[in-house]
Amino acid sequence: MRSPDAVVPRRAPFPPLLAKELREILSGRALWTMLLLLCPLVGYSFFQAVALYGEASAAARDSPTLASGLSPLDGVLVPSFGALYLAVTLLFPFVAIRTLGREKETGALRLLVQLPYRVPTLIAAKMTAIAVAWLVAVVLPLSALAIWAGLGGHLDPPETLNLLLGHLLYGLLVGAIALFAAAIADGAATAAIVALAFTIGSWVLDFALAGQPGVLDWIARLSLTQTLRSFEQGLLSLGLLLGLLAAIGGFAALAAVWLHPGVALRAKILRSLACVVVVGAVLGLASRIALTIDLTEDRRNSFPAADQRALGELREPLLVTVHLAPEDPRYVDLRRNVLSKLERALPHLTIRLATAGHSVVGSTGEENYGEIEYSYGGRSAKTRSTSHREALPLIYELAGRPIPTPVAGDDYLGYPLVANGGLALPWFCAALPLLIVIAWWWSRRPPRIPAADALA
Amino acid sequence: MTAPAASVSLGRGDGSSLLEISGLSKRYGDQRALADISFDVPARQILGLIGPNGAGKTTLLETIAGVLPADAGRMVWAGTPIAFADRREVIFYLPDGLRPWDDQFTAQVIAFFAAVYRRPQREVAAAIRAVGLSPVLGKRVGALSKGYGRRLMLALALITPHPLLLMDEPFDGFDLRQTREIMGVLRDVAAGGRTLVLAIHQLVDAERICDRFVLLADGRLRGAGTLPELRARTGKASAGLEDVFLALT
Repeated sequence: MRSPDAVVPRRAPFPPLLAKELREILSGRALWTMLLLLCPLVGYSFFQAVALYGEASAAARDSPTLASGLSPLDGVLVPSFGALYLAVTLLFPFVAIRTLGREKETGALRLLVQLPYRVPTLIAAKMTAIAVAWLVAVVLPLSALAIWAGLGGHLDPPETLNLLLGHLLYGLLVGAIALFAAAIADGAATAAIVALAFTIGSWVLDFALAGQPGVLDWIARLSLTQTLRSFEQGLLSLGLLLGLLAAIGGFAALAAVWLHPGVALRAKILRSLACVVVVGAVLGLASRIALTIDLTEDRRNSFPAADQRALGELREPLLVTVHLAPEDPRYVDLRRNVLSKLERALPHLTIRLATAGHSVVGSTGEENYGEIEYSYGGRSAKTRSTSHREALPLIYELAGRPIPTPVAGDDYLGYPLVANGGLALPWFCAALPLLIVIAWWWSRRPPRIPAADALA
Repeated sequence: MTAPAASVSLGRGDGSSLLEISGLSKRYGDQRALADISFDVPARQILGLIGPNGAGKTTLLETIAGVLPADAGRMVWAGTPIAFADRREVIFYLPDGLRPWDDQFTAQVIAFFAAVYRRPQREVAAAIRAVGLSPVLGKRVGALSKGYGRRLMLALALITPHPLLLMDEPFDGFDLRQTREIMGVLRDVAAGGRTLVLAIHQLVDAERICDRFVLLADGRLRGAGTLPELRARTGKASAGLEDVFLALT
C-alpha cells in the first residue's frame, strides 16, 4: 500500500488542483442554471438592440449627419453585454461561492488545507476556475456578436475587445468578492448575502448618491457598476485598470487570509488590515494615473484629430477654473464635452472647481456662477459655454495659435444597418438552451474507471 | 522544524516519541475544550484517544493537525519543535463523517489525492483493494453509504505518505465484521512504519487495536499509557479498558 521510504512532497503540482476546482464548478447546478437564465436575457437584449438600431438606421438613410451618430458599440454591443452584466451581478456570485462554500459546508476544506499547497495557490486555482466559468458565460453574448456580424453588422476590434476586457475585469471582481464572502461566512447562504450586499449595494450607491456633492460623490465612485462605464464608453483608463486589478487582488488576498481554519482570529484581522492598507495605497496610486486611451472608432471621447494635434503641442500649463456646482447638469456637460477630452489631449492641465463643497442651491446666487475661466501663459478668458466649439477657439487665442484646419476624410460616417434580429431568437430560446443542457449532462457523466486490479 | 519534507523521520520504532505534545489548551469563548494536555505519541504504534462524547477528542486532533488554532501548547516532532506550517508535512488528519467534494465521483477524488502526492498506480490500487472501495468508484461521493464514505476516507489516508495519521472515529459506520476487517488494514499500516492516533469512543474497539491509550474527559487528560500501565494506576490488575476508564475519569 505504501512504500516505507515514502516522502511527503513540500509542494504538489498545480494541474490536479485546478482540475478538481474545474470539476467542482462544472458539477454544480449554479453555473448551468445561470447559463440557462442568461440565454433569454441576452437573446431579448440583442433582439431589442438590433430592432432599435434598425429603426434609427432607417431614419438615417437619407441623412449622413444622423448616420454618423450610429455606432454599433452603443447600439448593439453594450445592450447585448448588458444582459451579461445583469447575470454577473445577480447570479455569478452563486457560481463563485460554490468554489469554496461547499467545501466549508461539507468539511472538505479541512482536507484541502492539509494538502501540500500554499493558501495563495489554493485561491489562485479557485480564481482560475471562476475565470473559466465567466469565459463559459461570455460565449452567449459573443454568439450574439457573431450573429450581428452575420447580419452584416460592423464590429470594431479595439472597442469590442475593450468592452470584453471591462466585463472580464468586472466578472473577476464580482468573483473575488464572492470568494472573500465565502471565506468569511460559515455557509453558502450567508456568503451569498454578503456578496449580493456588495453588488446590489452598488446599485443603491449609484441611484442614491451619484451626482451628489462632496463625500457622497466620493462614496458613489466606489460603486462596482462605475467600473464598467468607462469601458462601455470605449475608454481604456490605465488608472482604472490598475485599480480594478488591485481590487481583484485585494479581495482574493483577503479570501486567502480568511481561508485557513487553523489560523487564529487575531492573526486574520491583523493580516486583513495589512491587506487593506496595501490595496488602499495601490488604489490611491491608481487614482493619480490620468492616462486614458480613446479606443472608439468614432473618437467620441476626443476632439477632432486636428485639434488633438494642436492641443498636444501646447507646452505651458492650462488652468481651467469652473464656477459650477458638481451636480449642476451644465458641469456634467462641460466635463463630458470639454474637460475629460482636454485631460487626454493636453500635457499640462489643472482643473479647479471654484464651488467645491457647495451645492447648486448655495452657489447660484454668486455673480460669477456658471463661468468657466481658461488661463494660459499669463492670459485668461471667460465663457459660459460648455461646448468645445466655444472653448477651443478661446484656448487657441490665449496660446496665440491659429485654429487648426480640419483634416479631410477624418469624419466618422457611422454604420447604419436595418436587419432582422428576430432570427437570433430561435438560437437563444431553443438551440442554445438545448446545447447547454447537453453540455450539463455531458459534464455529469461518470469518468472511465479502470478496475482496481488493472491499476496494479 | 524546517526540513521534514525531503526526508521525513518515521521514528526509530523502539518506543521513542515521534510527537511530544505539552500544555495544549483550547477554549471556545467561556467554554474550556482542552486544558493543559500533555502526552507523547510513540513511533510506529497505534495510540487511542479515549473519551466520551464531548471529552475533547476531535478538538485535540484538530489542534494537533493545525486545522484549529490552539490557545497554548507546544509540539515537538522527533526531538525538534515543529512550526504550524510544517505540521502538514508530517501529520495527516482524517475528520469524522466527512464527504469531501460530494458532487464528484469517488474515482476522481481518489485520483486527485494520488496526483497531489504523486502516488504510483499500484499503491493506489492496493489502497482501493484494502478498503474494498472498488464497487463504488463510479458513484458520486454524495451518493455513498455511510460505510463506503468511511472507506473512501480511509483510502485517502492510505494514499497520503505522512508518517503520522490522525483519525477521528475510524470505525463509526462499520458493522462488527467490517470493523475487524478495517482494524486489520490499520494494523498493516502501523506494521508498515506509520504511526496512528485514533479517536475512538467504543472502548471495546479501542482495546482490540490500540497499543497505548490517552484518556480524556471534560477536556482534561485523565491518564496515558499502555493498558497494563493504566491498570497499575487503578490497582485493578485484571481490569479491562472499560473499568480502567471508569476508574480514572
